[in-house]
Amino acid sequence: MSLLSDNTTPAQAHGRGRFDATVELNRVICREHYVLRLRLPGGFPPSLPGQFVQLGCRPPGAPDGAIDASWLGGCEHAWQPGDTPPQAQQPELRERVSVLRRPFSIAGRGDDAGGSWIDVIHRVVGVGTAWLAGLKRGDAVDLIGPLGNWFTLPAGKSMGLLVGGGVGLPPMFYLAQALYEAGWDAVGFVGALTADLLAVTFVADTPPDGQGAPWRCVEEYSQFDFPTVVTTDDGSLGMHGRITRGLERYLSAQTREDAAKTVVFTCGPNPMMHAVARLSASHSVDCQVCVEQAMACGMGTCQSCVVKIESPQDPHGTTDAGRPWRYRLACTDGPVFQAKEVLW
Amino acid sequence: MGKNTTTTQQTVTPSLAVDLAGLKLSNPLMTASGTCGYGYEYGDFVDLSRLGAFVTKSITAEVRPGNEPSRIVETRAGMLNAIGLANVGLDAFMAEKLPPLQRMRQDGPRIIVNVAGHSIDDYVNTAGHIAADEDVDAIELNVSCPNVSDGLTFGTNPKLLKELVGLVRKAMRPACKLVVKLSPNVEDITATAAAAVEGGAQILSMINTYTAMTIDINKRRPRLANGTGGLSGPAIRPLAVYLVHRVYRCVARDAGVPIIGMGGVQYWQDAVEFLLAGASGLAVGTALFADPATPVTILEGLTEHLRQQGCKSVTELIGALELHTDPPAAPYP
Ligand SMILES: Cc1cc2nc3c(=O)[nH]c(=O)nc-3n(C[C@H](O)[C@H](O)[C@H](O)COP(=O)(O)OP(=O)(O)OC[C@H]3O[C@@H](n4cnc5c(N)ncnc54)[C@H](O)[C@@H]3O)c2cc1C
Ligand SMILES: Cc1cc2nc3c(=O)[nH]c(=O)nc-3n(C[C@H](O)[C@H](O)[C@H](O)COP(=O)(O)O)c2cc1C
Ligand code: FES
Repeated sequence: MSLLSDNTTPAQAHGRGRFDATVELNRVICREHYVLRLRLPGGFPPSLPGQFVQLGCRPPGAPDGAIDASWLGGCEHAWQPGDTPPQAQQPELRERVSVLRRPFSIAGRGDDAGGSWIDVIHRVVGVGTAWLAGLKRGDAVDLIGPLGNWFTLPAGKSMGLLVGGGVGLPPMFYLAQALYEAGWDAVGFVGALTADLLAVTFVADTPPDGQGAPWRCVEEYSQFDFPTVVTTDDGSLGMHGRITRGLERYLSAQTREDAAKTVVFTCGPNPMMHAVARLSASHSVDCQVCVEQAMACGMGTCQSCVVKIESPQDPHGTTDAGRPWRYRLACTDGPVFQAKEVLW
Repeated sequence: MGKNTTTTQQTVTPSLAVDLAGLKLSNPLMTASGTCGYGYEYGDFVDLSRLGAFVTKSITAEVRPGNEPSRIVETRAGMLNAIGLANVGLDAFMAEKLPPLQRMRQDGPRIIVNVAGHSIDDYVNTAGHIAADEDVDAIELNVSCPNVSDGLTFGTNPKLLKELVGLVRKAMRPACKLVVKLSPNVEDITATAAAAVEGGAQILSMINTYTAMTIDINKRRPRLANGTGGLSGPAIRPLAVYLVHRVYRCVARDAGVPIIGMGGVQYWQDAVEFLLAGASGLAVGTALFADPATPVTILEGLTEHLRQQGCKSVTELIGALELHTDPPAAPYP
C-alpha cells in the first residue's frame, strides 16, 4: 500500500479485525516502559502510523472454559484441594481485572514468513498495563485493529519533525519508518521528565547534545539516518527543559524555505501537544496531533472519546471566541487531527 | 425437570425462539442501547444477523452533542458513563441510519429504536415518527437516562410515566411494539413498572445504569466531567437480576408483559440467570466493548446448556426460578 497519501480513506476500507496474538518478546526498555512484540501468525491488515490497536488486558477467553456449568448447576464440581475454585476463575471476582480493552498506538510492524508482528510500547500506569507487563514469550493476547486514522504526508512537504513526549513516542517510531520509505527527512524530538523515563535505545558512545543540537543519538531514529534532540525536564540527559524548548530552538534556526517544507507531527500529553501546536503555528509550520482520549469501544459506538474540533459545518456549538465546533471521535475521526482545528 | 437426561442430549436441538408480546425473535439476544451505535459499527467483528434484535442508541428530536469529556471511567468490574445522549438527531437518523438497519432486518434481527426526549410532546413526536416506518419493530422508551438533567423525570414518577406511555402508545403505528426501559434509580421499581404497564407498555426492559460517582483523590474532583455517571457492567448484574425477579413476580408475570433483562450480561451463565429470574429477552451492553461477538458466544453457550438440561425450548427457563420457600417442583431422579 502506498503510504500516507493526502486523500485519506476510512480505515475500515483496508480491513480490520480481531486477532489471537502471541507474545514474541516483552522487554523493559526503561523505568516503567515495556516493548511488547506481538506475533500474528495469520497476518495483520495493512496499517499506517497513527493507527492503534485495542488490547484485551486480561487472560483471553478464560471464563468461558473456566467456569464449569456443573458448578453453576449445583455442587457437582469435584473440587480438589489445590485446585483454583471456579469462582476465583471468574475474572470479575479476582482482585481487579480490566473490563474494557486498552488502546495502544502501533509503534512498528513487520511482515515475514511467520505472519505479521506488531510492536507496542507501553508504560505501566494501572491494572491493564500491569497485566501487559507480566506477559511472557508465548502468552496469548487478544487484539483488535488496526483502528483509527493516520498521519498524512502533504504534497510539497519533505521534512518531518517528530515530537513525542512520554507515551506519545511509540507512534513516532512507526512514522519514522514511513517517512524514511517516502524519502522524507526527519528530526526526532524526544522528551521526558527525567532520563530513566526515556523509552528509547541510545546509540553507544553518542550521548545526546546538552544544547539541543540534533545528533544521531537515538537508535529508533538513527536507523533511518534521522538525528534526534533529547530533552529532560530535570536536565538529567540532553537539553535541560521541556520538549518545546528543543523544538523552539530548532524552529527558530530554520530558514523560511525550510519551514515551508516542514510538518510537525506530535503525540503526548494534551498540554504538551497544545504547546507544540502553538509553537508550530507561531512559526507558520503545519502540525498534526495524535490525541489520546479515554476510550471504551474504539470503534465509534460509545461516543466516549470526543474531541472539540473546529467545524463550520454542522457545528454543535460556538466557543467564546466565536469559533464553531463539533465533537469528533478520537477513535474513528482521529486519533490524528490537524492541530489548527483542535480547540484545546 | 430433566436435570439428568443423558438420553435426550444428542437428540434435542433446542429452540431459541422467543415471542415478546407478539414481537417474534429468532433468539433472546440483543444489543443494549448506546453500546452498539446505530448498526454496522461492529460488522467486522460479529455476524449481526445472528442477533434476535438490534437496539439503537437513544434518538432525540434534535441533534445532541452530549456532555463535556471525560465521559467514561472504568471501575472495578464495571464502568461509569456520562455520554449525555449524544446522537445524530431524528432527521439524520431517518435519512442515514435507518436504511442500513432496514437491510440488517432482512437478514433476521428485529429492529428496536430507542427514543429519548425532554417533554411529552417531544417523546410523542419522535416515537410516532420513527414507529411509522414498517421496518421498525419496536420503540424502546428511554425514560431512565441518569446523565442528562431531565433524563430521569419520567422514569421516577409513576403518574407522569403512565401518562407519557399512554400518549406515546397512541401516537405509534399499532403493529409497532412499545418497550419501556426502567430505571433502577427509584425507591420501588414495581411502582414504575406497573405504571408503564397500565399506560400501555407491551414489553419492559430493565435496567438502565445506576447513578454513581468516582473521585480523583489527588485532584479532589469527580473523575467524570459531568460529576456523576451511570454504572454498568458485571458490577450491577446481581442488582439487575434481583430487580428483574422482583418486577417479574410482582407485575410482569400476571400482566403477561415480557421483560428484556440487562445489566452486566457477559457470559452465557449470566444470561441463564436473567432468564430464570423472569427475563424473556437479554441485552448485552458494556461487554460489547471488550468483545462485540459476546451475544453470539452467549448464544452458543446457552444452546449447549439447554441441550444439557434437556430443554426443548429456551422458554422453559423463563421465570423457572425456584425459591427456597417454593415447594420442590419435581423430585430429583
Ligand atoms: C489512541 C491511543 C493510543 C495510545 N497509545 C499508547 C501507547 O502507545 N503507549 C502507552 O503506554 N499508552 C498509550 N495510550 C494510553 C493507554 O491507553 C493508557 O495508558 C492505558 O489505557 C492505561 O490502562 P491501565 O489499565 O494501565 O490504567 P488505568 O488508569 O487503570 O486505566 C483506567 C482507564 O483509563 C483509561 N486511561 C488511562 N490512562 C489513559 C490515557 N493516557 N489515555 C487514554 N485512556 C487512558 C484506560 O483505557 C482505562 O479505561 C494510548 C491511548 C490512546 C487513546
Ligand atoms: C456508554 C454507554 C452508553 C449508553 N447509552 C444509552 C442510551 O443512549 N440509551 C439507553 O437507554 N441506555 C443507554 N445505556 C445503558 C445500557 O443500554 C444498559 O441499560 C446498561 O448499560 C446496563 O447494561 P450493561 O451492564 O450490559 O452495560 C448506555 C450504557 C453505556 C455503558
Ligand atoms: S471509543 Fe467508543 S466512540 Fe470512540
